[in-house]
Amino acid sequence: MNRPPKDKWARLAALRPLPRAADPAEAARDVGHQAVYPASGDALAELVGGERVRNHFGEFLRVQRWYSEPAERAPRGAALHVLAPDSPTAAENISQWLFLDTETTGLAGGTGTYAFLIGLAWWDSGGLRVEQLFMRDFDEEHSLLLGLAERLAERRVLVTFNGKTFDWPLLETRLRMTRQIKVQPPVAHLDLLHPARQVWRMRLGTVRLAELERSVLGFDRGPDLWSQMIPQMYFDFLRRGKAAAPPLADVFRHNQSDLRGLATLAGKMIEMCAAPEKVEAEPLDLFGLSRLLRNRGERAQARHLYERALREGLPGALDRAARRELAALAKRDGDLGRAVGLWEELSGDSGEQRGGEAQDLFSLEAYEQLAIFYERRARQPERAAELTREALAALGGRSALDAFSVRRARLAARLTTRLGRLMRRADMPGRAQGGLAAGS
Amino acid sequence: MPQSLAVRRAIVPEDSRLAAPIRGLLDELAARDAAGEVLTAVRHFPAREAQLAAMPEWVHPELAAVYRGKGISQLYSHQAEAIERVHTGKNVVIVTPTASGKTLCYNLPVLHGVLENPDTRALYLFPTKALAQDQLAELHDLCQRLENRFGVFTYDGDTPADARRAIRERGHIVLTNPDMLHTGILPHHTRWTRVFENLKFIVLDELHTYRGVFGSHLCNVLRRLRRVARFYGSTPQFICCSATIGNPGELAARLIEEDVEVVEQNGAPAGEKFFVFYNPPVVNRNLGIRRSVINETSRLAQKFLDSGAQAIVFANSRLHTEILLTYLKQHNPQEPGAAETICGYRGGYLPSERREIERGLRDGRIRGVVATNALELGIDIGSLDAALMAGYPGTIAATWQRAGRAGRRSGSACAVLVASSAPLDQFIARHPDYFFGRSPERGFIQPDNLEILLNHLKCAAFELPIGAEEVIGRAELPELCARLAEAGYLHQSGGHWHWTQEAYPADTVSLRSVTSDNFVIIDESAGPEVIGEVDFTSALTFVHPRAIYLHQGQQYHVERLDFDARKAYVKPVSVDYYTDAIRNAQVKILECAQEELLLGSDARPQPGARNHGDVLVRSQVVGFKKIKFFTHENVGAGQLELPENEMHTTAFWVTLERRLVESLPFSVSDRQSGMFGLLHAMESVATLLLMCDRRDLGTAIGERPPSPGIPAGDETPAAPSPGEAAGKEFFEPNLYLYDAYPGGIGFSEPLFQAAEPLLEKTKDLIAGCGCEHGCPSCVGPVGERGERGKEAALEILDRLCG
Repeated sequence: MNRPPKDKWARLAALRPLPRAADPAEAARDVGHQAVYPASGDALAELVGGERVRNHFGEFLRVQRWYSEPAERAPRGAALHVLAPDSPTAAENISQWLFLDTETTGLAGGTGTYAFLIGLAWWDSGGLRVEQLFMRDFDEEHSLLLGLAERLAERRVLVTFNGKTFDWPLLETRLRMTRQIKVQPPVAHLDLLHPARQVWRMRLGTVRLAELERSVLGFDRGPDLWSQMIPQMYFDFLRRGKAAAPPLADVFRHNQSDLRGLATLAGKMIEMCAAPEKVEAEPLDLFGLSRLLRNRGERAQARHLYERALREGLPGALDRAARRELAALAKRDGDLGRAVGLWEELSGDSGEQRGGEAQDLFSLEAYEQLAIFYERRARQPERAAELTREALAALGGRSALDAFSVRRARLAARLTTRLGRLMRRADMPGRAQGGLAAGS
Repeated sequence: MPQSLAVRRAIVPEDSRLAAPIRGLLDELAARDAAGEVLTAVRHFPAREAQLAAMPEWVHPELAAVYRGKGISQLYSHQAEAIERVHTGKNVVIVTPTASGKTLCYNLPVLHGVLENPDTRALYLFPTKALAQDQLAELHDLCQRLENRFGVFTYDGDTPADARRAIRERGHIVLTNPDMLHTGILPHHTRWTRVFENLKFIVLDELHTYRGVFGSHLCNVLRRLRRVARFYGSTPQFICCSATIGNPGELAARLIEEDVEVVEQNGAPAGEKFFVFYNPPVVNRNLGIRRSVINETSRLAQKFLDSGAQAIVFANSRLHTEILLTYLKQHNPQEPGAAETICGYRGGYLPSERREIERGLRDGRIRGVVATNALELGIDIGSLDAALMAGYPGTIAATWQRAGRAGRRSGSACAVLVASSAPLDQFIARHPDYFFGRSPERGFIQPDNLEILLNHLKCAAFELPIGAEEVIGRAELPELCARLAEAGYLHQSGGHWHWTQEAYPADTVSLRSVTSDNFVIIDESAGPEVIGEVDFTSALTFVHPRAIYLHQGQQYHVERLDFDARKAYVKPVSVDYYTDAIRNAQVKILECAQEELLLGSDARPQPGARNHGDVLVRSQVVGFKKIKFFTHENVGAGQLELPENEMHTTAFWVTLERRLVESLPFSVSDRQSGMFGLLHAMESVATLLLMCDRRDLGTAIGERPPSPGIPAGDETPAAPSPGEAAGKEFFEPNLYLYDAYPGGIGFSEPLFQAAEPLLEKTKDLIAGCGCEHGCPSCVGPVGERGERGKEAALEILDRLCG
């Protein structure tokens, strides 16, 4: 990410240290409704390089930093639509973006869980401005939330990782509990967890931010704390103060890392979604991205990536899943030639290749699709009937009760109906045989 | 048998409209009962006209029109009185019997409020989910008639997640239960902002069920509810309904901690009714054994069915329900091609199934229904000709509620209580005046029980930081909060106490027990399956190794008890005995709150004293007895080595003065037996007065400490095991009845206040029992009490009661 700055002077200004003075009152800078003081003498503030901010409700601690990396990345093409399908076009205005990640006193939610550290970030001067708001005790919560509310009023597009289910509802609860601080809901909320999960879950299993950084974004944030410990670290700080400040400074760093990781991930995903054809990635990731694009209705892009993923090679079971999904897309696009080819491949595999029950079902569903094709398009009812009968015979042999029983039973019912209809039309013998096989 | 219990011969008045077959049936029963020992009471309640009052002027015209459309243009007097008081802003508790139209008492004012101001919100609390579901039908009907101008929803564990948001926004009336309020609503009150900002009414139905532990918890949940409502600027008004108990106003006022007005003049009409007590004939007088309550109930029910009556039969356990259902189905076989005429009706049925049964009862297709106690509460299944109860339901209130199932608006009906040989049943059967007089049953709670209060303080702090000036109950808040802070639960900042734990406190606090430290019971026979829970304090008594644990009528043998993991492993068995744990309980008085001499009927002091106060109970289950069903024979025993359990609680105790003990013309061991027998009977009567379960109280006898009120070594074995005490003689014994929950649950002071009637009733129970030397129905089985135990107990009581 070695790019010339948009505005060199702005970058320099951002790097300039804050003024320090002996008398806090004199050093106060008026920023809107708030005044800022250096926090000399406060152990934690000195460790994390913070300043005190005073507003209508009182004080809180604020840490501001600027990073040249990740560099600013604006959404292009279909990227915004893919990442947050219901967002208005106004959300493309990157100056409205606010990255958000909170550190809380628990994961349980409810009215007794507090966000003690609110990490914010936005693109500034070509790089990333990170601002952390921290309450040194519970009585600073209102002032902290007012500080947040002011930032939320300036920037109305939220970008988070799991913020839709966790961070934002929690902050809404906190804001509501003040009974005084009102905020407008954001105009759009890009929660990257869901698209990221779709793209990378197959390869990585669980999709955690630190894991994505390592395996996808290609950097290591270095030693990091165990995030389950965070609430206890804060409680320790509340009780023991200065003595527990160093571990808490780690929480600040962790939060900074999360925000930078989040911004980097946003850039990466914008890139991937804006120009999927140029993506260089593992076949499994290509498959994941195909699915994401397919779900957002970007069918041409999705088909292109499915083909690429298949060409580059997917493991057995996923290969079959990809073929099945691609065939459905091709059918929808009217590309029956490609669809039939894929179904033939799926139905032709022998039992060993099929793998588990799901794969077996895919194969039988491919039979059904082929039968539909031969009945309606190719006008070869005999071939259709033959395929249906084969599928029914294969189904009849399976009676295990498992997760797929219902789907199998439905498939059997559909096949039986189809066979009956084909038989009636052709007045062909063998109806009873097929029916029996299905009924067993 | 005392003369007062003699049964009149011609029991049905001439002018009764009682259907001829039922009249014949009652006369037949009376004729066979020459000694008057079986039909111990036949009470006749003449038909009563409705007391009507006009619909008040202030009622919103549309609402008045809707009720007119339902055929209600005038109100019963108690309804008019209730809504008038609600209208003037008072908290009200309405005390009227089943089917007297009490739901109108809250629906009308709430809907009036909604029509006047569409922002109005109301919360209805029912003790169970099923009851809330049943109320929904009536409210939906009203809603339709009002062109869907208001939203009404149930909100409980079964509510789908995607429906919850709509309920929070659009529900004018939310029907829920205390448990859901506690774990699902209050800890997430910010999502319920609209409801809390506009909360005008809180409806508490079946108020009498909120007593003891459950009531003490509910009181705290309501404290939290009012606190959250206050935060959003609202002060809701309470409308409560209760079955007939002795102290509805007192109980309601203690629960909501505000003034409450009581409405109890029932204005609903009632048809003529008979209430019959049927005590199955004695088959072994020595052992006090009677004919089986199940067989007798089944036989009587069949007689009613044969006479053409529609009948409902209540049993006290699931097992008994099933047996009765089987018997009655055998006697009333399904006609080929016709529908069943007998069906079961118990908890767990779907609302749609219930509606189907109700329809069957209304159109007469279904002739008989066998139901469990799950149905005694306000569920509407219509009214029938006869209600039979296999065993005393445990409280007078519950008995009236079940009896209320029989009762036609016109025509007449009959309720029959068939007594089992349990002490309570026998007491009630032989003392009908106790039952039919003004209800002496009273509900008590102890919301400031430390254990319970601390748990709710945690929940309260989670919901809203606790302010330094706040008042919650009668607790010393700053001190308690400081203790919670020391334990890491709270942290003080800016004058407020904040929650500082990751966990969600409400999840670990069950409203139905005192401690959350429960033992789970695991059935290993069909793959490990959790079938139930028992709280810590009763675990050792009920699920010790080799115990027979009864769950929903099924017997389970406890294979092993993993004390540290809090697990009991059981497997289902079918045996003809149950087990009774032998518990050694030692009571040490920590502080005597009050001590007074007992007064006799002539108000002269007697040689005994009543006391109550704080005690330390050290108990240990040392063994168990196997007791055969029906005959109550001791058929075996076992020894156990289990950990000792210590508990601070409250107790009521009676002190027998030395001169009383010494004046008894009995041997030391007979005196001892007399005391244990007296305590056994007194415990039975106490559970009756307190509307509580036998397991809510514990008993022990100990030597009175040398100097009253000063803690001293006061350690003696528990009541159920006189054997261990045989060697020791008491000079001035204390007979303890303690609350079997840590911290006490509010029984001790009421018992102290009612000590004299308690002893009188105990005397009545023992004196009225037909057994010769004691039986399980009075002082306990003769095998345990010795030949003269009963006699000695009576002698002591004579001296105490003067």
